[in-house]
Parts: sequence; structure tokens; C-alpha cells
Amino acid sequence: MFLAWQEIKKNKLRFTLITGILMLVSYLVFFLSGLATGLANLNREAVDKWNATAIILTEESDKSLYQSFMSIDQLNDIKADETAVIGQLNVIASNGDSKQNISLFGINREEFLMPDVTEGRDFKKANEVIADDSLKEEGFKLGDELSLSSSDQLLKIVGFTDQARFNAAPVLYTNLATFHQVKFGDAAKQNKDQINGIVVQNDSLSNLTQNDELTSIEIETFIQNLPGYTEQKLTLNFMIYFLFGISSIIVAIFLYVLTVQKISMFGVMKAQGISSYYLSWSVVAQTFILASIGTALGFAFALVSGAFLPAAVPVSFDVTVMVLYGFILMAVATAGAFFSVLTIVRIDPLKAIGG
Amino acid sequence: MAVLELHQVKKSFGSGHKKVEALKETDFLANRGELIAIIGPSGSGKSTFLTIVGGLLSPTSGDVIINGENLTTLNEKARSQIRLREIGFVLQASNLIPFLSVANQLKLLDKVKKGNMSKVERNQLYEDLGIADLLMKYPSDLSGGERQRVAIAKALYSNPSIILADEPTASLDSDRAYEVMELLKKVTKQKKTTTIVVTHDIRLVDYCDKVYKMTDGVLSTALENHTRVQHMAYEGKI
Repeated sequence: MFLAWQEIKKNKLRFTLITGILMLVSYLVFFLSGLATGLANLNREAVDKWNATAIILTEESDKSLYQSFMSIDQLNDIKADETAVIGQLNVIASNGDSKQNISLFGINREEFLMPDVTEGRDFKKANEVIADDSLKEEGFKLGDELSLSSSDQLLKIVGFTDQARFNAAPVLYTNLATFHQVKFGDAAKQNKDQINGIVVQNDSLSNLTQNDELTSIEIETFIQNLPGYTEQKLTLNFMIYFLFGISSIIVAIFLYVLTVQKISMFGVMKAQGISSYYLSWSVVAQTFILASIGTALGFAFALVSGAFLPAAVPVSFDVTVMVLYGFILMAVATAGAFFSVLTIVRIDPLKAIGG
Repeated sequence: MAVLELHQVKKSFGSGHKKVEALKETDFLANRGELIAIIGPSGSGKSTFLTIVGGLLSPTSGDVIINGENLTTLNEKARSQIRLREIGFVLQASNLIPFLSVANQLKLLDKVKKGNMSKVERNQLYEDLGIADLLMKYPSDLSGGERQRVAIAKALYSNPSIILADEPTASLDSDRAYEVMELLKKVTKQKKTTTIVVTHDIRLVDYCDKVYKMTDGVLSTALENHTRVQHMAYEGKI
């Protein structure tokens, strides 16, 4: 560590450049991880809010809530501690000034899908809704009357709840009767038992239903099957993993060049009896120091810049994930010192002193 | 007392008709407190001799014994330990680490040698070599002579039995070269080390107790109590 730190102190510019590159790579990793978390939340936060074990959908729906159609009577086929019915519809809502893609959830007030209201009150009467508070940033407010793209019904915002987006769309919660009115219009009465799924809270996942037409899907599996969710997540994760590789390669190249420049010096040191182990450890320690500083700076810059981003940018920093990625970055960067270590071990002190 | 002994040491490179005998069968003995010069032209085998003595190169045959320990029977790790403990190298200016101050050059040795030199001994060494004022300077701030004084301090750090100096004055002008040789002579006598200087600079032999000449891998017998004239006679120049 002594040799490593002394060299860094003496050659500040050189090592600042390496640290700067590592900082930029780590910043990108942290930012992408924030983006991945933010985009994931955008898709799943309303589902996470359910705090459920599984969802029951029809067998032929291919795990899609929107494509699942069942009768509320099928609740009798479910064996679970807690159940909650849900109807779901994608519509475009407008308050006259703004239009927004939204996801309409039809639920029963007394069941566990009912969200906590952060502003305003619960829906009590027909056509009242609780809205996700991200809609406030789009200009929606309490008391707004919303017209819908596919219905004559007008919905009134009576309350807001937080973290309620489903498949990237803000959710409007309403009762089942209003949901049926929006979805079926004049045929609402005939379809008053129609729902899309049944959400369950249960200790076990097995034997939730014996009905062959229904299937129980674990909540995480349900989320993974939300349209575009897995593809988006895989793409961003691939970029992050690629950046891990890049940081390792960058460090490997820089250190290798520096090591090659110091071959003669290392040779003399080896001739003097300083072991390859000591010299190799010094290079590894040096890499670790640079990687730690670069990663810490990247971490700090990511958090600072995240605080200044407009709300429209879906960045959400999960500090646990960031710390994990930080450690991975430091580990792969340090692994980049491997080639330098190999070079040091192979240095012949005899050549270094001109024998 | 013999610190260094070479018995029937040979070193050849290559094989068959390409075989080169860099060092022919050599016997050599060096005692404590002796300053010895090995002179000879480039390619004569001086460096081969020095690297074998320093444990950097294994001889083809023969024994190299340092303080009773036979180097030729040891593996590289053990030889490296002997180098660290028993041998101090003085090379050309390149043996200073460019990013370490003079104080840190020595502190590094303190770390790898686990510090067997007391603070008093260390300060005495700085005084003896006239580097006390240079401790905070980097090699690039030092003159050639100052660099070699620091190099000698590094070699002497932790009290080695043997100092091996390979062309220690090669990059110095005459005054600086004599200054370095004076210093080597002084520390050899004061600290009772065995110092072997490999050089092709015959001006330096006046400082040495013994002079050997290396020609085509053959080490001559020692010339003791020589003078420059004796040396030149040996060279066949007068």
C-alpha cells in the first residue's frame, strides 16, 4: 500500500485521469441502475402496493391481466386467506387541459387492494376515483372531472395516493360498478360480474384453485410478464454488465501500460530482493485505491445529479443495489490488475540491471 | 574471514557449437572489509560474475557461498531473501524509484526488510553519506553524485555483508566519480562490508584493496596493494 499510495501522490495528474475515467464509468453504472429501478417501479409499483402473494387469471390470458376475463363468482373457487377482485382497463383521461394514458382499476373498497389516500378522501359514490399522485405533475388536481377516450362516463378525482403506476401508466382506482360503466357502457348491468383477476394474500402458493380454467401466478412472475418489463430490464442490465467489463478492461489497459513503463524499475527492485508478491500487491492495492475513489465519486455524482433531474426522468436510486454495483465495480476493476501482476511476476531482474 | 566464496564456478549460455562460456572455471574469495574491483572491457564476463555473486543468475556448475550459505542449492525465493538480507546493490542512477522521495526510498526498504536499523543508525547513515539534507527531495531533483550517494545509502540500509556495485560511476564526471569511490571505500572500512565494484574505468582502482581483471570469462589472480602504475603494467601498457 505504501508504494502504491506514494506513486499516486507523486503522479497526481496521471492517476487523476484514470480515476476520472473510473468515476465516469461508475457514474454511468449508477445512473443506469437508477434508471432501471425507476423504469421498473414505473411498471410495478401499483402491484407492489398490493403486497400480495399471487394473482389468479384465466388460463388462456397468458398471464396478462388485461386479457383475463372471469366472473366474480369464480371467487368461490379460490382458497386463500385474503382475496380481492380487480378489473383493469387502459384508457385515456382528460381534464380538459391535459390528456394522459391511465390504467383504471375497479376494486372493492373493503378489500386489501384499496390504496391509502395521501390527499383528499376515499371514493364513496359512483364515478369517484382516487388517482396516482404523479398525475398532479401533469396538471390534474382534486375535483377535476375526467372525460375518457372510450366512454361517456365522467370521473371525478376525490383523492390521491402515492406510488401507484401500473405498466408505466398512472392508476385511477374506482369501485367495480363505475369500472363496469366505463368498460361496458350500456351493457354494464349484463356484465356486472365481469372482472379481470383475483389477487390473493396467502401463506402458500399451492392449491389456490382447483378450477382448470384459472391459473395462479406468483406476483413476481406476473410482474416479469408485464408487457415490455423484462425486455426493458434485461436491456438496461446488459448495459450495466457491459460497463463492468469495460471498467475492468480500461483499468487493465492503463495499469498494463504503466507497469510496462516501470519494468526496469521493478526489475531493479526485484534484484534488490523485493519480492514479486510485494510489487504485485502494490499494483493491486493501487488499483483498489483508484477504483474506490472513482466509484465513490461516481456514487456521489449520481446521487447529486439525480436530485436535480426533472420528475419526468424515471430515475430512482436504490442505495442497496448501488452499493452492490459499487463493490462489483471495485472488484472487476481490481481484477483488471491481473495482467500487470502477471507482467511483474515475469520480470527478470537480471535484464533490468543489464546482466 | 571469508564472506563470499566461489568454487569452480562456470557459466555458459547456449549449447553445441553455439555454446558460449561467459565465465570460465572461477575461484574467488572476498573477506570482510575489502573493497575489490573487477575490471575488464564490455562483454568480458564482469556482469555475469556480478549477477552470479548476487544470486540473480545460477551458475552452470560450481558453488557460490555467502556467509556459509550455498546460493546454488537455494530456490529463487530463498535467494531473494538472501539478496534482501545480505546484499546491497549499487547500480547506475536507475536504481532509485522516481516517485519516492529519498526518505521514502529508504522507508520502503525498512518496510520490506522489516526494519532492522534503529533511528540512531539511520541518522548516522544519512550523516555519513551526506544525504541528511536531501531526504525530502525526489531523484529528479538530485545531481548524479547525490543520486549515487542515495543509492549507496539504499545498498547499506540494514547492514548487508556484501555490496555489489555495477558501474557505479558510469554517469558521473571525474570529481563525482572519485567522490563516490571515496564513499564506497569509507563505508567498506567503517562497516566492514565486502564491496565488489565492477567497472571498466581504471581511474577507480586506486581506491580498491584488490583488483581482478576479467578477460573472455577468465578472472585473473588478484593484484594486491597495487598502484595505478602497477595496474598499467598489468595491462601491459608500460
